[in-house]
Formats: sequence, structure tokens, C-alpha cells
Amino acid sequence: MNQNGHHSPSDHPPSVLIVDDEEMVITSLRAFFELETDFTLHGFTDAEEAARFAEQNLVDVAISDYLMPKMNGIQLLARIKQAQPEASRVLLTGHADKQSAIQAINQVALFQYLEKPWDNAQLLLVVRSGAERARLFRELREKIEELDGANSRLKTAQRRAIEAFL
Amino acid sequence: MSSNSEACAPAASADLHQMAAAGRLLAGVVHEINTPLGSILSNAEVIERSLEMLAAMLADPRPQSLERARRLVGTCQSLAAIDRVASERIRAVIRGLKKFARADGEAPRAIDLNQHLRDSLLLARAEFGSRIRVEADFGTLPEVECFPQMLGQVFLNLLVNAAHAIEGDGTIRARTRLEDGVVYVAISDTGRGMTAEERARAFQPGFTTKPIGEGCGMGLAIAREIIEDRHGGTIGCESEFGHGATFHIRIPVRRGTRGPEGPAAPGPRSVTP
Repeated sequence: MNQNGHHSPSDHPPSVLIVDDEEMVITSLRAFFELETDFTLHGFTDAEEAARFAEQNLVDVAISDYLMPKMNGIQLLARIKQAQPEASRVLLTGHADKQSAIQAINQVALFQYLEKPWDNAQLLLVVRSGAERARLFRELREKIEELDGANSRLKTAQRRAIEAFL
Repeated sequence: MSSNSEACAPAASADLHQMAAAGRLLAGVVHEINTPLGSILSNAEVIERSLEMLAAMLADPRPQSLERARRLVGTCQSLAAIDRVASERIRAVIRGLKKFARADGEAPRAIDLNQHLRDSLLLARAEFGSRIRVEADFGTLPEVECFPQMLGQVFLNLLVNAAHAIEGDGTIRARTRLEDGVVYVAISDTGRGMTAEERARAFQPGFTTKPIGEGCGMGLAIAREIIEDRHGGTIGCESEFGHGATFHIRIPVRRGTRGPEGPAAPGPRSVTP
């Protein structure tokens, strides 16, 4: 999100948001990612706080629990999607049911649906590819913005040239 | 999750009551276990990996790796503390399950049946939450001689079935009455109801309307065995497709001294009450 003054998309380690009302899940995932990766990790047990964080900070991958007080994982991911459409959204749920999976896929264009107990190797793969996907989307958007900028500059120049001749 | 046939075939010969208890109760609490289990499994990997790194550092000790080693030890300590908390959580869940799934003794016990039904309603709520309104209309009952654990399974089974029959919002009603030395329990729902064919086959072992992997079709067959064979009572249902369903249970207040092995008063097996 360059207009917010963030770095260009490719020069930062992936920023990963982990939201679970169980502190133990955040601690376990943090220990794992810190050992195996250079990701920047942001853990929240409160979904509302996590949503506010995502509204103000860059997130590449958002991993959320499903059943939480105040708002469920799908509601949270919907808010994150609105704030940062490029972020890859992952639901990590202990309450696996078809209904919530379908809802998540349809409503928040879920990147991946994972069940607890999770497999670290699989989770790592998901987060890496999710971060790569987010990076590509951001680059694409920047290129489009560059093109738009160049296009409008060109139009301005053209208009001035015409005005100069008339 | 295993498929229908895998889950049900061996169970037919296994202890049906055990299966009913496990099936119904575990469905509700499985997510309570998956979260701490996820942490424990993840932590085990991280601790193993950290120990590998520490072993490598010890094999080639360098002053500059001391700080990293300290951090690894710190991580392992905090993960071990989490494992303890997570294991306690799993233990608490299992303890709760055991309490409800405790095997009945050989002889029936005299209990407050209304309270027992109330407990089942509370447990069933874990399955459907606030989506469904529950109405309890309990008459005054004397203490009822029964096998409480088995009856609890029947209640839970009917309640969870009722909840599954309701799409979106709805109501489940539980009603008890005393009628001439017989306790009458009715559990009804405002769900989709049953077709005539479904109603006729409802108590048949293996018959289910649930998708593959979600139901064994043993619940009502077991319920009938428990009510008729173990309690000398009757169980039946009435339903019209699109208009909900009601299950009627009648069991005598007092029963003979016979244990769960023998039927006290096997009644005719009818589908209608």
C-alpha cells in the first residue's frame, strides 16, 4: 500500500497476521515461524484489534481462527479484505464444517482453509505462497498505477501542445 | 473423517451404546480438543528442531552462538509450559466427556428425569448454539428408575437430530408428563420433517438421510433398543414432510430388578406411539 507510505512490495519480509482467541496458538505459531522464517509476525487474541491493525498496517497473509467472541473469522477476514484486498486470507479452524468453509470461500475469497490440528510444513507452504501471491498482486497494482500516471501525464502534455498551437 | 461404511460396519458388532456416546458427544467437543492438540504437535516439532540446533552448537561451541542458544532454550521452556496448559485443557474435556459417558451400572437408578433432560438440552446447545430456541414444558415427575447414561444418549440423539432437521432458525420443544405410572417424554422440532418412507424406516439400523460421513443411521436404532429392551418402554415418531417431527417416549416409572442384560417387558415394536 504505497499511498500509506509502505515500502515497495518486494523489499520486505512477509508480514503475517495471526488471530486466535487462544493465546497458545499464537505462541506456538510464533515460535515456529521465528525458528524457520524471517516473517514479521503480528499476533492478536482480539479480532477487533486485529481488524484495526490491518486497517493501518501492511499485511501479506492473514491467518484467522473461526470461532471467536465478538466476531467470527469470516467477518474478520471480510474486514481485512476491505482494508487490504491483496492480502491472502487463511482460515485455521478447529470447528471444521462444510458450511463455514463454503461461506468463507464465497464471502471473503479465501486463499486457504486449514483445519486444526494443523501441519506446520503445510502451513508454511500456504503462508509462503500466500505472501508471494500478495506481493504479485501489489506489484501488478503498482504497475497499473504507473501506467495510469504515465497515461495522464501524456494526456496533459498532449492537451498543452494542442493549446499552444491554437 | 471416515466414510459411512468404514465408520459403521465394525460398529454394528461393537458396543452400540459406546458408539452412540462417542459419536454424539465427540462431534460437539472435538474442536475443544483440536486447538490445544494443534499447539502441542507444532510445539513438539519446534522443540525437536531447536534441540537439533542446540546439539550442533554444543558439538562446535563458539562464543558468538551463546546468545542464540539462550534464546532457543527460552523458546523451548515457554513451549513446554504451553504444552502443559494444552494437555490440561484436553484432560478437562475428556473428564467432562467421561462424566456424561459414564457406563451405567448393572441395576437401574432412581433419578430426576426432568433434570436429566435439562442436562441433555444444555449439552445439545453446544451443537446448535443460539440458532435454535428451546422450550421446556416439564410436568411434575416422581423419581424414575432407569439407566441414566443410556437415556441421556437417547435424549441427546433426538435433540441433535432435531437440530439437524432445522435449517436456520427454529424451535425444539421438550415436554414431560406422568401418565398412569408411565413417564411420557416428547421431543419435537420445527424442522423439515420426514417423508412417509423416511418415517417408516427411521428406526431401521443403517438408515440415514444425512450425507455420507455425517451419520451412521444407528442413532434411532440404538434409541429404540435402549427404550424398549432396556427400559421396557416404547418410542415412536410422527411427522409430516415440511412440518417438523415429534418423538414420543414412554417408560414405566418403576421397573423390575433386572439389569441391562435382559429385557424387562419387551413391548411391541411400533413406529407410531
